[in-house]
Amino acid sequence: MAKVKYFGILAENVDQAQEEVKVDSENLEELVAQLKEKHSLEAYDFQIAVNRKIILDLSVFKVRDSDEIAFLPAFAGG
Amino acid sequence: MDYSRQTILPQWDEAAQQKLKNSKILIVGAGGLGAAILPYLAAAGVGQLGIIDGDRIEASNLPRQVIYSESQIGSLKAEVASAYLKSRYSELSLVSYTAFLNETNASEIIQNFDLLIDATDDIATRYLIDEVCLAAGIPWVYGSIHQFEGQVSVFNFNNGPGYRDLFPIQSRSAITCSEAGVLGPTVGLIGMLQANEALKIIAGIGVSLSGKLLIYNLLTNSQDIFEISKKQANPSEEHKFRPSFISIADAIQSQAILLDVRTFGELPEVVHKRNIQIPLAELVDRWQNLDLDQELVIFCQSGARSAQAAELLNGLGFQKIKLIKGGAKELAEKLIYEKDIS
Repeated sequence: MAKVKYFGILAENVDQAQEEVKVDSENLEELVAQLKEKHSLEAYDFQIAVNRKIILDLSVFKVRDSDEIAFLPAFAGG
Repeated sequence: MDYSRQTILPQWDEAAQQKLKNSKILIVGAGGLGAAILPYLAAAGVGQLGIIDGDRIEASNLPRQVIYSESQIGSLKAEVASAYLKSRYSELSLVSYTAFLNETNASEIIQNFDLLIDATDDIATRYLIDEVCLAAGIPWVYGSIHQFEGQVSVFNFNNGPGYRDLFPIQSRSAITCSEAGVLGPTVGLIGMLQANEALKIIAGIGVSLSGKLLIYNLLTNSQDIFEISKKQANPSEEHKFRPSFISIADAIQSQAILLDVRTFGELPEVVHKRNIQIPLAELVDRWQNLDLDQELVIFCQSGARSAQAAELLNGLGFQKIKLIKGGAKELAEKLIYEKDIS
Protein backbone atom coordinates (compact mmCIF):
# COMPACT_ATOMS: atom_id res chain seq x y z
CA MET A 1 0.00 0.00 0.00
CA ALA A 2 1.28 3.48 -0.83
CA LYS A 3 0.79 6.20 1.76
CA VAL A 4 -0.84 9.41 0.47
CA LYS A 5 -0.71 12.71 2.42
CA TYR A 6 -2.79 15.76 1.60
CA PHE A 7 -1.79 19.28 2.65
CA GLY A 8 -3.54 22.64 3.01
CA ILE A 9 -6.91 23.07 1.38
CA LEU A 10 -6.69 19.59 -0.13
CA ALA A 11 -6.74 17.99 3.33
CA GLU A 12 -10.12 19.65 3.94
CA ASN A 13 -11.52 18.02 0.83
CA VAL A 14 -10.58 14.46 1.72
CA ASP A 15 -11.90 12.52 4.72
CA GLN A 16 -8.46 12.12 6.25
CA ALA A 17 -5.27 14.08 5.68
CA GLN A 18 -3.57 10.73 5.18
CA GLU A 19 -4.70 7.51 3.53
CA GLU A 20 -3.28 4.29 2.22
CA VAL A 21 -4.03 3.29 -1.33
CA LYS A 22 -3.46 0.12 -3.23
CA VAL A 23 -1.25 0.83 -6.21
CA ASP A 24 -3.12 -0.62 -9.19
CA SER A 25 -1.19 1.32 -11.70
CA GLU A 26 2.53 1.87 -11.62
CA ASN A 27 2.18 5.16 -13.45
CA LEU A 28 2.10 8.20 -11.15
CA GLU A 29 0.04 10.35 -13.52
CA GLU A 30 -2.74 7.74 -13.64
CA LEU A 31 -2.69 7.22 -9.88
CA VAL A 32 -2.95 10.99 -9.28
CA ALA A 33 -5.84 11.20 -11.76
CA GLN A 34 -7.67 8.43 -9.89
CA LEU A 35 -7.20 10.16 -6.51
CA LYS A 36 -8.24 13.51 -7.99
CA GLU A 37 -11.50 11.97 -9.17
CA LYS A 38 -12.06 10.03 -5.94
CA HIS A 39 -11.79 13.19 -3.80
CA SER A 40 -13.19 15.69 -6.33
CA LEU A 41 -9.93 17.66 -6.50
CA GLU A 42 -10.25 18.63 -10.16
CA ALA A 43 -10.57 22.36 -9.40
CA TYR A 44 -7.32 22.48 -7.40
CA ASP A 45 -3.73 23.09 -8.46
CA PHE A 46 -0.98 21.24 -6.63
CA GLN A 47 2.38 19.59 -7.00
CA ILE A 48 3.10 15.94 -6.29
CA ALA A 49 6.02 14.67 -4.25
CA VAL A 50 7.08 11.05 -3.96
CA ASN A 51 9.23 10.13 -0.97
CA ARG A 52 9.61 13.87 -0.24
CA LYS A 53 10.92 14.79 -3.65
CA ILE A 54 8.74 16.93 -5.92
CA ILE A 55 8.17 15.22 -9.26
CA LEU A 56 8.03 17.44 -12.33
CA ASP A 57 7.01 14.88 -14.93
CA LEU A 58 4.37 12.52 -13.51
CA SER A 59 3.92 10.67 -16.79
CA VAL A 60 7.29 8.94 -16.67
CA PHE A 61 7.33 8.19 -12.93
CA LYS A 62 6.70 4.65 -11.68
CA VAL A 63 5.09 4.32 -8.24
CA ARG A 64 5.98 1.46 -5.94
CA ASP A 65 3.83 0.05 -3.18
CA SER A 66 6.08 1.37 -0.39
CA ASP A 67 6.15 4.97 -1.69
CA GLU A 68 4.87 8.00 0.19
CA ILE A 69 2.99 10.39 -2.08
CA ALA A 70 2.22 14.00 -1.07
CA PHE A 71 -0.30 16.41 -2.58
CA LEU A 72 1.12 19.93 -2.16
CA PRO A 73 -0.96 23.00 -2.94
CA ALA A 74 0.40 26.57 -2.75
CA PHE A 75 -0.72 28.40 0.41
CA ALA A 76 -1.80 32.01 0.13
CA GLY A 77 -2.27 33.46 3.62
CA GLY A 78 0.12 35.64 5.52
CA MET B 1 22.91 48.09 21.57
CA ASP B 2 24.57 45.13 23.29
CA TYR B 3 24.54 42.08 21.03
CA SER B 4 26.83 40.01 23.28
CA ARG B 5 24.27 37.22 23.81
CA GLN B 6 24.27 36.75 20.04
CA THR B 7 27.99 37.14 19.41
CA ILE B 8 28.99 34.58 22.06
CA LEU B 9 27.28 31.94 19.91
CA PRO B 10 29.99 29.85 18.24
CA GLN B 11 28.20 30.23 14.87
CA TRP B 12 27.38 33.94 15.26
CA ASP B 13 30.52 35.98 15.85
CA GLU B 14 31.29 39.70 15.56
CA ALA B 15 31.77 39.28 11.81
CA ALA B 16 28.24 37.85 11.49
CA GLN B 17 26.88 40.75 13.54
CA GLN B 18 28.68 43.18 11.25
CA LYS B 19 27.25 41.47 8.15
CA LEU B 20 23.78 41.93 9.65
CA LYS B 21 24.54 45.57 10.40
CA ASN B 22 25.53 46.06 6.74
CA SER B 23 22.44 44.32 5.39
CA LYS B 24 19.29 45.77 3.89
CA ILE B 25 16.17 43.60 4.07
CA LEU B 26 12.81 44.34 2.46
CA ILE B 27 9.68 42.94 4.12
CA VAL B 28 6.79 42.76 1.67
CA GLY B 29 3.63 42.92 3.78
CA ALA B 30 3.21 44.19 7.33
CA GLY B 31 0.37 41.86 8.31
CA GLY B 32 0.51 38.66 10.36
CA LEU B 33 3.86 37.38 9.11
CA GLY B 34 5.36 40.87 8.88
CA ALA B 35 4.36 41.77 12.44
CA ALA B 36 6.32 38.72 13.64
CA ILE B 37 9.35 39.14 11.38
CA LEU B 38 9.93 42.89 11.72
CA PRO B 39 10.57 43.26 15.48
CA TYR B 40 12.88 40.25 15.63
CA LEU B 41 15.04 41.36 12.69
CA ALA B 42 15.15 44.93 14.03
CA ALA B 43 16.14 43.73 17.51
CA ALA B 44 18.82 41.38 16.14
CA GLY B 45 20.62 44.35 14.56
CA VAL B 46 19.74 44.53 10.85
CA GLY B 47 21.17 47.72 9.34
CA GLN B 48 18.21 48.70 7.21
CA LEU B 49 14.64 47.44 7.00
CA GLY B 50 12.24 48.28 4.19
CA ILE B 51 8.52 47.85 4.84
CA ILE B 52 6.04 47.87 2.00
CA ASP B 53 2.29 47.59 2.55
CA GLY B 54 -0.59 49.73 1.29
CA ASP B 55 -3.03 48.32 3.82
CA ARG B 56 -4.57 50.00 6.85
CA ILE B 57 -4.95 48.46 10.32
CA GLU B 58 -8.33 46.81 10.93
CA ALA B 59 -9.84 45.53 14.18
CA SER B 60 -9.75 41.96 12.82
CA ASN B 61 -5.94 42.22 12.42
CA LEU B 62 -5.20 42.83 16.10
CA PRO B 63 -5.45 39.23 17.44
CA ARG B 64 -2.36 38.27 15.41
CA GLN B 65 -0.67 41.49 14.25
CA VAL B 66 0.71 42.21 17.68
CA ILE B 67 2.72 45.34 16.89
CA TYR B 68 -0.51 47.32 16.33
CA SER B 69 -2.93 48.65 18.93
CA GLU B 70 -6.65 49.47 19.08
CA SER B 71 -6.03 53.21 18.86
CA GLN B 72 -4.23 52.73 15.52
CA ILE B 73 -7.17 51.19 13.64
CA GLY B 74 -7.46 52.96 10.28
CA SER B 75 -3.77 53.98 10.15
CA LEU B 76 -1.38 52.77 7.45
CA LYS B 77 0.46 49.60 8.52
CA ALA B 78 3.77 50.55 6.88
CA GLU B 79 3.86 53.88 8.73
CA VAL B 80 2.80 52.49 12.11
CA ALA B 81 5.21 49.53 11.88
CA SER B 82 8.04 51.87 10.92
CA ALA B 83 7.30 54.24 13.83
CA TYR B 84 7.07 51.28 16.25
CA LEU B 85 10.54 50.05 15.28
CA LYS B 86 12.06 53.55 15.10
CA SER B 87 11.01 54.26 18.70
CA ARG B 88 12.77 51.12 19.92
CA TYR B 89 15.93 50.76 17.84
CA SER B 90 17.78 54.05 17.36
CA GLU B 91 20.51 52.62 15.11
CA LEU B 92 18.06 51.00 12.69
CA SER B 93 17.53 52.67 9.33
CA LEU B 94 13.94 52.37 8.05
CA VAL B 95 12.30 52.92 4.69
CA SER B 96 8.54 52.56 4.45
CA TYR B 97 6.43 52.39 1.30
CA THR B 98 2.70 52.96 1.79
CA ALA B 99 1.76 51.11 -1.40
CA PHE B 100 1.33 47.53 -2.52
CA LEU B 101 4.18 45.95 -4.43
CA ASN B 102 3.16 45.94 -8.09
CA GLU B 103 4.64 45.61 -11.57
CA THR B 104 5.30 49.34 -11.77
CA ASN B 105 7.20 49.81 -8.49
CA ALA B 106 8.71 46.33 -7.82
CA SER B 107 12.02 46.53 -9.72
CA GLU B 108 12.86 50.00 -8.49
CA ILE B 109 12.15 49.18 -4.83
CA ILE B 110 13.63 45.67 -4.68
CA GLN B 111 17.00 46.63 -6.19
CA ASN B 112 17.75 48.73 -3.07
CA PHE B 113 17.88 45.61 -0.86
CA ASP B 114 20.10 42.53 -0.37
CA LEU B 115 17.32 40.18 0.66
CA LEU B 116 13.54 40.13 0.48
CA ILE B 117 11.08 38.45 2.84
CA ASP B 118 7.65 37.62 1.49
CA ALA B 119 5.01 38.33 4.12
CA THR B 120 2.15 38.88 1.68
CA ASP B 121 -1.19 37.13 1.50
CA ASP B 122 -1.37 37.05 -2.24
CA ILE B 123 -0.13 34.45 -4.70
CA ALA B 124 0.14 36.79 -7.71
CA THR B 125 2.51 39.04 -5.72
CA ARG B 126 4.72 36.01 -5.04
CA TYR B 127 5.13 35.38 -8.79
CA LEU B 128 6.03 39.07 -9.20
CA ILE B 129 8.58 38.86 -6.35
CA ASP B 130 10.04 35.71 -7.90
CA GLU B 131 10.38 37.34 -11.30
CA VAL B 132 11.92 40.59 -10.06
CA CYS B 133 14.27 38.88 -7.58
CA LEU B 134 15.49 36.53 -10.33
CA ALA B 135 16.20 39.48 -12.65
CA ALA B 136 17.93 41.43 -9.84
CA GLY B 137 19.82 38.43 -8.40
CA ILE B 138 18.31 38.85 -4.91
CA PRO B 139 17.40 35.86 -2.70
CA TRP B 140 14.02 35.79 -0.97
CA VAL B 141 12.41 33.95 1.93
CA TYR B 142 8.92 32.61 1.27
CA GLY B 143 6.32 32.05 3.97
CA SER B 144 2.63 31.35 3.69
CA ILE B 145 -0.24 30.07 5.79
CA HIS B 146 -3.26 27.84 5.39
CA GLN B 147 -5.14 27.65 8.70
CA PHE B 148 -2.81 25.68 11.06
CA GLU B 149 -0.24 24.88 8.37
CA GLY B 150 2.61 27.03 7.13
CA GLN B 151 5.01 26.75 4.20
CA VAL B 152 8.55 28.16 4.28
CA SER B 153 11.28 28.13 1.64
CA VAL B 154 14.22 30.16 0.35
CA PHE B 155 14.24 31.05 -3.33
CA ASN B 156 16.80 32.35 -5.80
CA PHE B 157 19.66 31.76 -3.37
CA ASN B 158 23.04 30.55 -4.69
CA ASN B 159 21.49 29.65 -8.04
CA GLY B 160 18.79 27.59 -6.29
CA PRO B 161 15.21 27.19 -7.47
CA GLY B 162 12.54 29.89 -7.48
CA TYR B 163 8.84 29.94 -6.60
CA ARG B 164 8.04 29.14 -10.24
CA ASP B 165 10.13 25.97 -10.01
CA LEU B 166 8.03 24.92 -7.01
CA PHE B 167 4.65 25.99 -8.39
CA PRO B 168 4.94 26.39 -12.20
CA ILE B 169 1.18 26.93 -12.47
CA GLN B 170 -0.40 29.82 -10.59
CA SER B 171 -2.96 28.33 -8.20
CA ARG B 172 -6.60 29.20 -8.80
CA SER B 173 -7.72 27.62 -5.57
CA ALA B 174 -5.57 28.97 -2.71
CA ILE B 175 -7.37 31.05 -0.10
CA THR B 176 -6.10 33.75 2.28
CA CYS B 177 -6.25 34.02 6.08
CA SER B 178 -9.29 36.29 5.90
CA GLU B 179 -11.13 33.54 4.03
CA ALA B 180 -9.67 30.44 5.70
CA GLY B 181 -9.14 31.68 9.28
CA VAL B 182 -5.92 31.76 11.31
CA LEU B 183 -4.62 31.90 14.91
CA GLY B 184 -1.82 34.27 15.94
CA PRO B 185 0.75 31.62 16.91
CA THR B 186 0.63 30.11 13.40
CA VAL B 187 1.69 33.33 11.66
CA GLY B 188 4.04 34.05 14.58
CA LEU B 189 5.86 30.73 14.23
CA ILE B 190 6.09 30.80 10.44
CA GLY B 191 7.30 34.42 10.60
CA MET B 192 9.97 33.36 13.11
CA LEU B 193 11.16 30.60 10.77
CA GLN B 194 11.39 33.19 7.96
CA ALA B 195 13.31 35.67 10.14
CA ASN B 196 15.67 32.86 11.15
CA GLU B 197 16.29 31.86 7.52
CA ALA B 198 17.05 35.53 6.73
CA LEU B 199 19.62 35.74 9.56
CA LYS B 200 21.28 32.49 8.41
CA ILE B 201 21.51 33.71 4.80
CA ILE B 202 23.00 37.08 5.82
CA ALA B 203 25.61 35.49 8.10
CA GLY B 204 26.22 32.48 5.87
CA ILE B 205 25.62 29.95 8.64
CA GLY B 206 23.67 26.70 8.94
CA VAL B 207 21.69 24.98 6.23
CA SER B 208 19.04 27.10 4.53
CA LEU B 209 15.72 25.96 3.08
CA SER B 210 16.95 26.73 -0.44
CA GLY B 211 15.75 23.92 -2.70
CA LYS B 212 13.40 22.67 0.01
CA LEU B 213 9.80 23.31 0.98
CA LEU B 214 9.06 23.06 4.71
CA ILE B 215 5.46 22.45 5.74
CA TYR B 216 4.79 22.87 9.48
CA ASN B 217 1.47 21.75 10.91
CA LEU B 218 0.73 23.40 14.26
CA LEU B 219 -2.23 21.13 15.04
CA THR B 220 -0.07 18.02 14.96
CA ASN B 221 3.42 19.56 15.36
CA SER B 222 4.52 17.60 12.32
CA GLN B 223 7.16 18.95 9.96
CA ASP B 224 7.66 17.73 6.41
CA ILE B 225 10.47 18.86 4.14
CA PHE B 226 10.20 18.30 0.40
CA GLU B 227 12.99 18.64 -2.15
CA ILE B 228 12.35 21.04 -5.02
CA SER B 229 13.93 20.45 -8.42
CA LYS B 230 15.02 23.33 -10.60
CA LYS B 231 13.59 23.39 -14.10
CA GLN B 232 16.38 24.08 -16.53
CA ALA B 233 16.29 24.14 -20.28
CA ASN B 234 19.95 23.16 -20.59
CA PRO B 235 21.27 22.00 -17.22
CA SER B 236 24.57 20.86 -18.73
CA GLU B 237 25.24 24.16 -20.44
CA GLU B 238 27.89 26.12 -18.57
CA HIS B 239 27.72 29.38 -20.44
CA LYS B 240 24.47 31.22 -20.21
CA PHE B 241 23.28 32.86 -23.41
CA ARG B 242 23.51 36.63 -23.10
CA PRO B 243 21.17 38.25 -25.63
CA SER B 244 21.48 41.89 -26.60
CA PHE B 245 18.79 44.46 -25.89
CA ILE B 246 16.77 46.57 -28.32
CA SER B 247 14.83 49.75 -27.58
CA ILE B 248 11.06 49.68 -27.93
CA ALA B 249 11.16 52.21 -30.78
CA ASP B 250 13.73 50.15 -32.73
CA ALA B 251 11.79 46.94 -32.06
CA ILE B 252 8.61 48.46 -33.50
CA GLN B 253 10.46 49.72 -36.59
CA SER B 254 12.25 46.40 -37.17
CA GLN B 255 10.81 43.42 -39.00
CA ALA B 256 11.29 41.19 -35.98
CA ILE B 257 8.55 39.05 -34.45
CA LEU B 258 7.51 40.54 -31.09
CA LEU B 259 7.35 37.42 -28.94
CA ASP B 260 5.20 37.84 -25.81
CA VAL B 261 6.09 35.10 -23.28
CA ARG B 262 3.59 36.22 -20.66
CA THR B 263 0.68 34.00 -19.65
CA PHE B 264 -2.54 34.49 -21.62
CA GLY B 265 -4.72 37.20 -20.10
CA GLU B 266 -1.89 39.20 -18.48
CA LEU B 267 -2.38 42.92 -18.90
CA PRO B 268 -1.73 45.16 -20.73
CA GLU B 269 -2.64 43.44 -23.97
CA VAL B 270 -0.10 44.11 -26.72
CA VAL B 271 -1.73 44.36 -30.14
CA HIS B 272 0.57 44.40 -33.14
CA LYS B 273 0.63 42.62 -36.49
CA ARG B 274 4.02 41.05 -35.71
CA ASN B 275 3.08 40.02 -32.16
CA ILE B 276 3.03 36.30 -31.25
CA GLN B 277 2.17 35.11 -27.74
CA ILE B 278 3.61 31.86 -26.43
CA PRO B 279 3.70 31.72 -22.60
CA LEU B 280 7.13 30.74 -21.20
CA ALA B 281 5.73 27.50 -19.72
CA GLU B 282 4.45 26.44 -23.17
CA LEU B 283 7.50 27.49 -25.15
CA VAL B 284 9.24 24.16 -24.81
CA ASP B 285 6.28 22.48 -26.59
CA ARG B 286 5.38 25.24 -29.04
CA TRP B 287 8.70 26.68 -30.22
CA GLN B 288 8.19 24.96 -33.60
CA ASN B 289 5.63 27.69 -34.36
CA LEU B 290 8.58 30.07 -34.68
CA ASP B 291 10.92 30.36 -37.64
CA LEU B 292 14.58 29.67 -36.80
CA ASP B 293 15.77 32.34 -39.26
CA GLN B 294 13.31 35.03 -38.23
CA GLU B 295 14.57 37.76 -35.93
CA LEU B 296 12.86 37.61 -32.52
CA VAL B 297 12.34 40.38 -29.98
CA ILE B 298 11.15 38.85 -26.73
CA PHE B 299 9.23 40.66 -23.99
CA CYS B 300 7.30 39.92 -20.80
CA GLN B 301 6.28 42.07 -17.84
CA SER B 302 9.62 42.84 -16.21
CA GLY B 303 12.29 41.01 -18.19
CA ALA B 304 12.86 37.86 -16.13
CA ARG B 305 10.72 35.51 -18.18
CA SER B 306 11.97 36.92 -21.48
CA ALA B 307 15.56 36.24 -20.36
CA GLN B 308 14.60 32.63 -19.57
CA ALA B 309 12.80 32.32 -22.91
CA ALA B 310 15.85 33.67 -24.75
CA GLU B 311 18.08 31.10 -23.06
CA LEU B 312 15.67 28.28 -23.86
CA LEU B 313 15.29 29.30 -27.52
CA ASN B 314 19.02 29.77 -27.93
CA GLY B 315 19.50 26.23 -26.64
CA LEU B 316 17.09 25.07 -29.36
CA GLY B 317 19.14 26.73 -32.09
CA PHE B 318 17.65 30.24 -32.33
CA GLN B 319 20.38 32.83 -32.88
CA LYS B 320 18.58 36.05 -33.85
CA ILE B 321 17.19 36.89 -30.41
CA LYS B 322 16.96 40.27 -28.74
CA LEU B 323 15.29 41.36 -25.51
CA ILE B 324 13.21 44.48 -25.29
CA LYS B 325 14.38 47.32 -23.04
CA GLY B 326 11.40 47.67 -20.69
CA GLY B 327 8.32 45.48 -20.63
CA ALA B 328 4.83 44.93 -21.96
CA LYS B 329 3.51 48.09 -20.29
CA GLU B 330 5.99 50.41 -22.03
CA LEU B 331 5.57 48.56 -25.34
CA ALA B 332 1.75 48.79 -25.20
CA GLU B 333 1.96 52.51 -24.35
CA LYS B 334 4.33 53.18 -27.24
CA LEU B 335 2.14 51.24 -29.69
CA ILE B 336 -0.93 53.18 -28.64
CA TYR B 337 1.04 56.43 -28.89
CA GLU B 338 2.27 55.67 -32.39
CA LYS B 339 -1.08 54.23 -33.49
CA ASP B 340 0.91 51.43 -35.01
CA ILE B 341 -1.83 48.92 -34.30
CA SER B 342 -2.81 46.83 -37.26
